[in-house]
Amino acid sequence: MQPLKQYWIAEALEKDLGDPTNPNNVMSFKQVIDLDEREEFPHEIIDWLYNWKLQHYYIPTECGGEFTSFDEFIAFVRVLSRRDQTSAIAFTTMFWSYLTWMAGTDEQKRTLSSFMKDANGAMCLAYSEKAHGSDLLASDVRATKVPGGYILNGEKWPINRATISGVTFVLAKTDEAGGARSLSLFMVEKSKIDPANYTHLPKIYTHGIRGSDMSGIRFENCFVPESMRLGAEGVGLELALKGFQITRALCAAFSQGAADTALRTTLKFALGRQLYGKTVFDMPQPKRTLTDAFLDILICDCATIGVARGFNTMPEQISVWSAVVKYFVTTTLETVVQNVSVVLGSRFYMREEHDWGIFQKVLRDNAIISMFDGSTVVNLHALLLQLRQLTKSRARNAGRNQDTLQARLLATFDLTQSLPAFDGKKLELVNRGGDDVLQGLELALTSLSDLKTDSNLNSEVLQQIIQLTQMVQEELKTLDHQITESTFQFGHEQAPEVFDIAKQYCVLHAAASCVYMWLYNRHHLGDFFASGEWLALSLRKLLLTFRPAKALPARLGDEAVSQELVRLYSHNRMFSIVPFQLAQPQQQETTTDATQRLQLQA
Amino acid sequence: MQLKDSNSKPSSSNAVDTIQEWLVNQIAKQLGINAQTIKVTEPLTRYGLDSIDSVTIVGELEDWLDAELPPTLLWDYPTIEKASQYLVNEAGVTPAETTNQTTEVTTKPQEAPKEKAWGGLWNKISGS
Repeated sequence: MQPLKQYWIAEALEKDLGDPTNPNNVMSFKQVIDLDEREEFPHEIIDWLYNWKLQHYYIPTECGGEFTSFDEFIAFVRVLSRRDQTSAIAFTTMFWSYLTWMAGTDEQKRTLSSFMKDANGAMCLAYSEKAHGSDLLASDVRATKVPGGYILNGEKWPINRATISGVTFVLAKTDEAGGARSLSLFMVEKSKIDPANYTHLPKIYTHGIRGSDMSGIRFENCFVPESMRLGAEGVGLELALKGFQITRALCAAFSQGAADTALRTTLKFALGRQLYGKTVFDMPQPKRTLTDAFLDILICDCATIGVARGFNTMPEQISVWSAVVKYFVTTTLETVVQNVSVVLGSRFYMREEHDWGIFQKVLRDNAIISMFDGSTVVNLHALLLQLRQLTKSRARNAGRNQDTLQARLLATFDLTQSLPAFDGKKLELVNRGGDDVLQGLELALTSLSDLKTDSNLNSEVLQQIIQLTQMVQEELKTLDHQITESTFQFGHEQAPEVFDIAKQYCVLHAAASCVYMWLYNRHHLGDFFASGEWLALSLRKLLLTFRPAKALPARLGDEAVSQELVRLYSHNRMFSIVPFQLAQPQQQETTTDATQRLQLQA
Repeated sequence: MQLKDSNSKPSSSNAVDTIQEWLVNQIAKQLGINAQTIKVTEPLTRYGLDSIDSVTIVGELEDWLDAELPPTLLWDYPTIEKASQYLVNEAGVTPAETTNQTTEVTTKPQEAPKEKAWGGLWNKISGS
């Protein structure tokens, strides 16, 4: 069994969902492609997941569920997403329940927990309005105070699961004067409001995730009781922004699942396809492309797992960490999918050929991840507004409280450490105390230097890791200098160059995350992980954002990395720094009940 | 909340004025508008300061006052006057070296930088 407990649920779910290349399995590529072609909501898959009791893992233990940590959560979302992002996204709208876990009354928590567990209930998030994009304060939806509650009026669109959901989290204006305290959040239970006072808007036809219930909801003089308001009147925006800190970070798991399938199905092709007397994989260029894709997945893994655990260890810094991974991981993995498509050749575009055409579906479905729950621009904007404060704290904290910083980094990045309970009330609208991940580079360099006496390590690899980490630190100093020399400007018309600085910040944060992940887990993630070639190659890859290849140390040989990629593929293991076990191929067809097969394909 | 040392504490009206002046100048500079046009009794959103800006400016205010403040300060007290009064009269925060700071920040309300975002940074980088 996998020694790290946070991966048990993901492995158990994988095992029970079975091999996705067996058409008879519930979330097989064949089935999800058929559903996609028909643009049908995946009811059968969602029911299967409820019967499996996966919804319990969305409810914190103190609210009656099984959820304990975000790193466990992202692992099983990867499992869903590698098979079908449509179902994964549909099922995971349930994670908006966190708004209630954070701000709800005991009664609201009980209601929602029971709705999810006992009634197989799902929820949706009704924030967007057709006319206002990301500008939440411009809300046209009104909640007018009346005795005992509010009268809701207005329309929310586009909303995932607006129609097929029983609870709608609605952001509405409760103060006509406007301003940041003008919004309130409501947990609207559809079963308890008058059906005459709300309507669902028609399904929206989309480029990808075609089976999704993309629609909207319109309220007309709809009475909602006061007991449906979450938190105090006027805290809606604050709750919305804190809720996004959670969900944005978790979005990375959707991208990780998609990238895994894109790489896996392409690798399958490259290993099986003969050209010029050898396999495609044996040719240097395709092999390099696939190896680089694997490195990108490992880099994103380090960043995502870091922030997932950071919710428990450093919630006051999550406003920054969460924006970093929502931008960096989703866009990097979108590029990975694009990059490997070249190796798959024209089949990447075909809707039936090669693994039922799963690649083109991944390509389409995955394209929405960097857009929803706050687009790339929104995330970079949220980050760039905080950069001056981050730089100031970095200067202020330099060399101080090294022991506590070390302890926090260890708790966050050592995957064997048990985590303190997450307390949503500790999330802050803006970063408090700086960014530990970048603050700790000096400590990391000391730890790396101490490893020079470790005879198990290849000295050339270690030397390169040290050299590249120093370069990361130099680039951070340059960035800090640029930011300090500047005067800050507010507003939404920030220069593109400032966005570039925010992007560079994300790259440095990801690089540092990789270094800690290696330092703190060298002894428990296997030989490949421990040997560190992947880290040196990853750091070099990230530094290409800042420096031309010829200004970097020569690229190490990547044979160990490409061999590991093939080994994980052959053993059906996740492409990850924690390569947990995926479902094994079954005996084809022999044990399948014919009626069940017909039902699945009907 | 971290409170300032009350030795050498200026009178509270002086402290309110000092914070108001600091905020007027800071906001004028950063929004690129003339400080004379900012009324301390107007909601800050009127000057184009949006909800997220209001949260991040508190960080600059914290640095200047050397005190930990609620990030939603300017959400709950949305005018310069209300925020300053809250800080001095309810939170007990006073700016250190009031006189010097006042001189420093009010000497010359800076003209708005022509280019958006972080003033002259990009000219320096690009060398233009």
